[in-house]
Amino acid sequence: MAIILGFVLAVVGFTLGTGVLGGIRVSMGLEYWSTDLSWTIGYPFALLGWLAGVGGWKYWATEWFGGTAAQTPKGVKRYFEWNMDHKVIGVQYGVTFVALLLLSGLAAMGIRYELMQPGMQLFTQDQYNAVMSFHGIGMVAVAVAIMLGAFGNYVVPIMIGAHDMAFPRVNALSYWLVPPVAIMLVIAVIMGGWDTGWTAYPPLSVLNKSGQVLFNLAVITFGLVSILGGINFIVTIVYERAPGMTWGRLPIFVWGAFAGSLIAFFFTQGFAAGLIMILLDRVANTSFFHAAEGGSPILYEHVFWFYSHPAVYVMVLPAFGAVLEVLSHMSRKPLYAYKWVVGAMLGIVALSGVVWAHHMFTSGMEDYLHAPFLVLTEMISIPTGIIFLAAIGTIWAGRLWMRTPMLFALAFIFNFTVGGLTGIYLADVPTDIHLHDTYFVVAHFHYTIMGGEIFALFAALYYWFPKMTGREFNETLGKIHFWLMFIGFQLVFIPMFQVGVKGMNRRVADYPDAYADFNRFISISGFVLGSSFIFFTANMILSWVKGRRAAANPWHATTLEWQVSSPPPEHNFEGTPVIESGPYEYGVPGAPKHAHIGPASAEHA
Amino acid sequence: MSRHVMIVGVLWVFFTALALAGAAAMNPFPTVGAEEAEFSDHAFRIMTFMGAPVFGFVIAALVYNIARFRSSGQPSEDGPPFKGGGMIPRAWLGVTTALAVVVMIYPGLTGLAEMRSDRSYDLEVNVTGYRWSWSAQYPDGEFTSNEIVLPKDQRVRFNVTAPAGDVLHSFWVPAFRLKIDAVPGQTNYLWITPTELGDGANDAAFRVQCAELCGLNHAGMRMNVRVVEPDEFEAWVAEKAGN
Amino acid sequence: MAATATLPHGREVDSSHAARRVRINRLGLWLFLASDGALFALFAASRFYIAGTAISPHLNQLLGLGITSLLLLSSFTAYRAETAFTHGNTSHGRMMLLATVLMGLMFFGGVVYEWSIAEFSPSEAYGTAFFSMTGMHAFHVVTGVFFLLLMWARSGDGKFTGGTNAWPIAAAVIYWHFVDVVWVFFYPTLYLLK
Ligand code: HEA
Ligand code: HEA
Ligand code: CUA
Ligand SMILES: [Cu+2]
Repeated sequence: MAIILGFVLAVVGFTLGTGVLGGIRVSMGLEYWSTDLSWTIGYPFALLGWLAGVGGWKYWATEWFGGTAAQTPKGVKRYFEWNMDHKVIGVQYGVTFVALLLLSGLAAMGIRYELMQPGMQLFTQDQYNAVMSFHGIGMVAVAVAIMLGAFGNYVVPIMIGAHDMAFPRVNALSYWLVPPVAIMLVIAVIMGGWDTGWTAYPPLSVLNKSGQVLFNLAVITFGLVSILGGINFIVTIVYERAPGMTWGRLPIFVWGAFAGSLIAFFFTQGFAAGLIMILLDRVANTSFFHAAEGGSPILYEHVFWFYSHPAVYVMVLPAFGAVLEVLSHMSRKPLYAYKWVVGAMLGIVALSGVVWAHHMFTSGMEDYLHAPFLVLTEMISIPTGIIFLAAIGTIWAGRLWMRTPMLFALAFIFNFTVGGLTGIYLADVPTDIHLHDTYFVVAHFHYTIMGGEIFALFAALYYWFPKMTGREFNETLGKIHFWLMFIGFQLVFIPMFQVGVKGMNRRVADYPDAYADFNRFISISGFVLGSSFIFFTANMILSWVKGRRAAANPWHATTLEWQVSSPPPEHNFEGTPVIESGPYEYGVPGAPKHAHIGPASAEHA
Repeated sequence: MSRHVMIVGVLWVFFTALALAGAAAMNPFPTVGAEEAEFSDHAFRIMTFMGAPVFGFVIAALVYNIARFRSSGQPSEDGPPFKGGGMIPRAWLGVTTALAVVVMIYPGLTGLAEMRSDRSYDLEVNVTGYRWSWSAQYPDGEFTSNEIVLPKDQRVRFNVTAPAGDVLHSFWVPAFRLKIDAVPGQTNYLWITPTELGDGANDAAFRVQCAELCGLNHAGMRMNVRVVEPDEFEAWVAEKAGN
Repeated sequence: MAATATLPHGREVDSSHAARRVRINRLGLWLFLASDGALFALFAASRFYIAGTAISPHLNQLLGLGITSLLLLSSFTAYRAETAFTHGNTSHGRMMLLATVLMGLMFFGGVVYEWSIAEFSPSEAYGTAFFSMTGMHAFHVVTGVFFLLLMWARSGDGKFTGGTNAWPIAAAVIYWHFVDVVWVFFYPTLYLLK
């Protein structure tokens, strides 16, 4: 219901915004409608209407103007409107982004079908560009937000013994900004799409179809989601920890979320700034990127990568956290070199902001920038290496329980080694000059994002599924999903390294016949990979609907979220949790239990 | 304990060898058409040599622990409580830092210096990228051409640009392993010494391929490249300049 | 721990809990401002990238100096408002809020006027920098004014009086200071270089 109201108010807002604009334009003797400008002005109003409709007004904003906020409903209904419980929001994020993952994955299937042989089959070139661009940005959005949005929200507060996030209302706000992002991207594709990939380089993005404007508006909104989320996590982790939960006792996933949030809240502005400049060039006649007036397209690349490189660590830091979390509990061993891992994560945060121009070695930027960016980029492999030390040290001689989450976590190590090491080839200028913009890069980043983060995502998803839904997942389906996905993944992306070096560039709808054999192989493997998601989807739906009831602690893990029922009670704990030792004291003689839940305190009774 | 380390050591050698053999068997490179290509491929190989042991080590440790310590049922006891203090993390940090520094210097910085070392040239070609085609202008002969013809063993400088009002393109010839963006309102340079005869008609590596997404026909924004003997080149120039 | 304070209209509040809440909100606000500051910084940096340090000879320097002084002054009244509310002096605080709003609006008017008389267009390099930076800043001024007015409108019944209750006022004022500080960087960047 709330969602329908949201839609209605969005349309009202849009009509209002464009109407006022149109009125002004008509009075100035211009045409009523100007696609670029009308969307730019109408969209913020539509967004406000949407937010008000889905509950932002009823449950929050009315207070500002002297009203009283209503109580949010209980039961299944609460998932479909504004809700401030971090657990509800976590589920909302999870479901929304998994849906976007599947949709963008379907686009990838379209890409692979088109590329199966030379010539054009399924799409026109224009459609190919649109589908490829949608796949890119959809997946980037998923990768940036799903780990923090779904699991960060659901488990971080419980892990640190908090009753909710620091800013529950901002949390709800940032979730409800997500559907407009997805909807705008889909509308953009329906309107004919945009053809600049996920990177939106000008001048093309200033000159192309209006789908670009929708892309920009969507992604700016998404930036806001990311920033608000980041701030919320930082403040929650700083101030909402339970008694005894010192910084040295935080579960590593919390550290990963913290590190990722540090990047998200500060750097995301870069993408927004670049996209705002594009919008201004399009609708306000400015010259950020018009060479003739002194503007420069290379400015955009700097501003854009200033965010979008750090963004890859927003994706991967929480993923490191989740993987190490799963490895430790499922190997029944303490996390190896905990302090080093924390240091490494913070080191990655520090370095992430000073390597962006490694995406620009062939852009014609100033020559003197090459050497420092080469050096700084390769320095990042040092802290990243520590994560690998911890992963290996943690499984070393452990008791490895080979359930689905563990399989995905172990596969992460394999994939990310390949992805990380091939990053070095790209950081090295003499090789990158050839490899830039080839399928070698495509392979590199699918190995890091998909092989890394998305595999970590599935590790986390299966690991916390019982906690979040209160149901057990089907192990057999989980294993089938894993093996199909793991093997399919290798078969799709290993050959891409080779075809890239051989001279096939990325973002092409068609290619010389010389690359036909490779592409046929890649595409067929791609469908195998795609089919693994059928098992995943089936497993999720079946298990959620009629899986067996999950125990409170099916993995016999030590951290706090497993000490409460599955799913946890409304305020997470019946009493106040007190933390007495580190989170991973497996096999440590005489170690006290990580946490016990004390009697209810006066404050939260 | 030491037995585990030993087996992992053996596996390490094995997986490193496997990775190297795999890399060698793949021969990933396209035709080597220029000095610069040899140079780039060399850097690529060096990194493969250095990366293979890192890869091998991680995989050896991973595979051994999975094979040796997995349990399909729920484990009944905890593993040994290694916390990872002491020498191992320090040693790891030392080794990876050393490795990273080596890669930065060689093939990184030294390669960069080498790439920049020779900026002389015998021949210039002005290359302009439009949506969606290339044009090559030979200042010496004052003519433009829709294919690039180069004399073998002579150093060429490409002056690459795009007209104001156009979009970004990127000039890339896989056989030469070099690319540079064509930026509206800015000229970028690329120096190449072709060392192999070749013709894009029968080797896809000899093609100019636009390597920066530029919209509709980005994929088809190609131009043929021919490397010919110097006298043949002279003849071609004479013929082109003639009409 | 459970020290309680009674408000004028009789609501009871656990002051230690409230104080904690304010700490939390304050950190959130500062992080938001840091993030927003990054956006401004990127635009300021872009100005040098596309237009170097050139400025337009057509700028009205006197107007620029005037509105800058006005904005600085408004930070002072904003500060007075915050102190007044924390010390329980609602009526003085509200007056100072209004004074701040007034100066903010005058600043905004100055920017609008500058735009209307500008002899350079947004399509020149300098114009691009000038219009985008002042425009973005003016948007923040307007939101700042909105928050200050909201505070003024809601503070009538004295609910923002004293200690932690004054947090909403403090938040609006901190935001106002931020907008001011941004201008302290933007003003020389746009008016004084070369
Ligand atoms: C999750 C995402 C993610 C991650 C983690 C990374 C990690 C890294 N990336 Fe990647 N990258 C992307 C996502 C990611 N990347 C994307 C999406 C693009 C393309 C964007 C586009 O154009 O669309 C890209 C592109 C990209 C480029 C530009 C290529 C080009 O367009 O020309 C470069 C160049 O330097 C690069 C380098 C690196 C490096 C050095 C790392 C390092 O962080 C890796 C560090 C890890 C290791 C090295 C392995 C483990 C370490 C050890 C076992 C220790 C020992 C090792 C050594 C000492 C070497 N990446
Ligand atoms: C999280 C990040 C992520 C993930 C998971 C993926 C997943 C996949 N990606 Fe991609 N990809 C990117 C991020 C990601 N990608 C980015 C950022 C780009 C760059 C875009 C740009 O250049 O701007 C890119 C670009 C990109 C290209 C290059 C396009 C080009 O340059 O022209 C290709 C080509 O093959 C590709 C393929 C795939 C495939 C086959 C998958 C598969 O893993 C997908 C498999 C998943 C599914 C199929 C799910 C849905 C399945 C069902 C609902 C069941 C139905 C099944 C069938 C029909 C078989 N991706
Ligand atoms: Cu020109 Cu791509
Ligand atoms: Cu990067």
